[in-house]
Amino acid sequence: MSKDKANVKKDNSTRVLMPAVIFVAAVTQIPFAVTIIFSLLKWNVKRPDLGISFNGLQNFIDVLTSKNFYIVLKNTLIIIVACLILCTVLAILLGVLFNRKYPGGYFFRTLLVMPYFVMDSVVGIVWKTLLLNPSMGLNYYICQFFGIKSIDFFGKHSLLTVIILIIWQWTPFFFLIIMAGLQNIPDDVTESAKIDGANGFKRLILIDIPIIKKHIITAMTLGLINILKVFGLVYVTTQGGPGVSSANLPYLTYRTIFYDWSVGKAAAIAVITVAITLFITQKFFNATNKDE
Amino acid sequence: MKKSKIKHALLCLLACVVALIWVFPIVYMIVSSFKAEADVVVPGFVFSPTLENYKIVLSDTFFKYLGNSVLITLGTVLVTVLLAVPAGYALVFAPLKNPNNVYFWFVSTTFLPAIAVIIPVYLIFQKLGLVDNPLALVILYSGAGIPLMVWLVTNFFKEVPAEIVEAASLDGCNRVQAFFRIMLPLVRNGIISAALLVFIITWNEFFYAVTITYTEAATLPVYMSKYMTQQGYFWGKMCATGTLICIIPIFLGFFTQKALVKGLTSGSVKG
Repeated sequence: MSKDKANVKKDNSTRVLMPAVIFVAAVTQIPFAVTIIFSLLKWNVKRPDLGISFNGLQNFIDVLTSKNFYIVLKNTLIIIVACLILCTVLAILLGVLFNRKYPGGYFFRTLLVMPYFVMDSVVGIVWKTLLLNPSMGLNYYICQFFGIKSIDFFGKHSLLTVIILIIWQWTPFFFLIIMAGLQNIPDDVTESAKIDGANGFKRLILIDIPIIKKHIITAMTLGLINILKVFGLVYVTTQGGPGVSSANLPYLTYRTIFYDWSVGKAAAIAVITVAITLFITQKFFNATNKDE
Repeated sequence: MKKSKIKHALLCLLACVVALIWVFPIVYMIVSSFKAEADVVVPGFVFSPTLENYKIVLSDTFFKYLGNSVLITLGTVLVTVLLAVPAGYALVFAPLKNPNNVYFWFVSTTFLPAIAVIIPVYLIFQKLGLVDNPLALVILYSGAGIPLMVWLVTNFFKEVPAEIVEAASLDGCNRVQAFFRIMLPLVRNGIISAALLVFIITWNEFFYAVTITYTEAATLPVYMSKYMTQQGYFWGKMCATGTLICIIPIFLGFFTQKALVKGLTSGSVKG
């Protein structure tokens, strides 16, 4: 990475690097290490009379034997798989559609990207009220127009609703990166494909997608990391409910610490969440970098 | 030839329509913010616009949250730039043993979910009296912003042609001079865009804001979340609030999207 080590005299260069390293370690790595220690304790903040005691792996056993944990784990996996696939497919289709020159093209492309830049709590609430509210939102008016009952997005289909909102918000991010790939495809490649008679879908599958493969993988990797962390959208729309039917792992951890104040158990869920995040990310890296 | 022109025109039209449908929820919110409370529930774009909602929403409470958001976001961007830009510079140009390891360490910290650190952080801040204090959020946001900034800025520094670096050292610039006179002007736009991205992410951040603040240091996303149980009585005001707090990220998003893509892809795509 260092471009010309020979030309640069050795000096105190670590001094400019260390503040950033120390700061980040102090705010992320060290608290995480403490979280691991907490996960071994029996400790309820709201019950100081019970004191703090060593609990061994009991917190992990409690979490791993609770039914809710598996529902939430399943939700998290469904969310991540559904969103990754649909965001990628939609972003590729949108990329192909928008990868042409016309007056105002940049403006409309920017409009499409807007949802990514707007905060979770605003878009979540707007979707929940103006659009999907079963008795007063557009949901009601559209369903009435077709003569059917309003769709119960937050009762019966809460997980699906969360997935729809994530796809709506994150497809623009996938699109940004995939679009950059499509714009980099040299014109002569496209031209010679046309001459060879490869058009439309054939060209997309056989020529474009292999060329922009790395962009797709980058978008999916960054999407994976961020969608695993989704919290605000769940918090303002379904609150993980009904029950835990639309909760993901971050939301379950939040609820365990700030509703139950059970430090040990919440820390155990946090540690499991990180382990699962690392496992999925690792598997994904291996799968996508296999043939390189 | 003519047929393909028509096809092109139709696809352009389709692209415009898709973009408008995708952004519709945001447009609908902005439009609804100008409706009187009595009209807001009924869909439709024909109504007599009013600024009534904005007059009510722009209260002292709103300005208090706005002040917190501005203070915390600017503080975070400042800390992030001051720590991350020199770090990125050192990672590319300093004679470090394993710059790649440090770089990937920074990148990997962005994988760590906030819930993995919040429990001890909350308890420590409670001990220090920092819960519901703007400083707490600046510290947490900088911890998240620095790795992202290092990630992007390192990629920008790597694109500086080696000849320029050599020329600088031949001219007898020391590293500090080279940084300020030659590097900084070259990567200035990249740094500004990365800083804007940190600004947007910090401005929008919800998890830390909702867990570590209550009323004194709470930011605009938390203010907005008070509307989440709304059943239709104050939708006009809700939309006005949402519109006001989204203006800045939408506006900055226009300028930062290109650099965002460049910074995020250049490391992994070319490598």
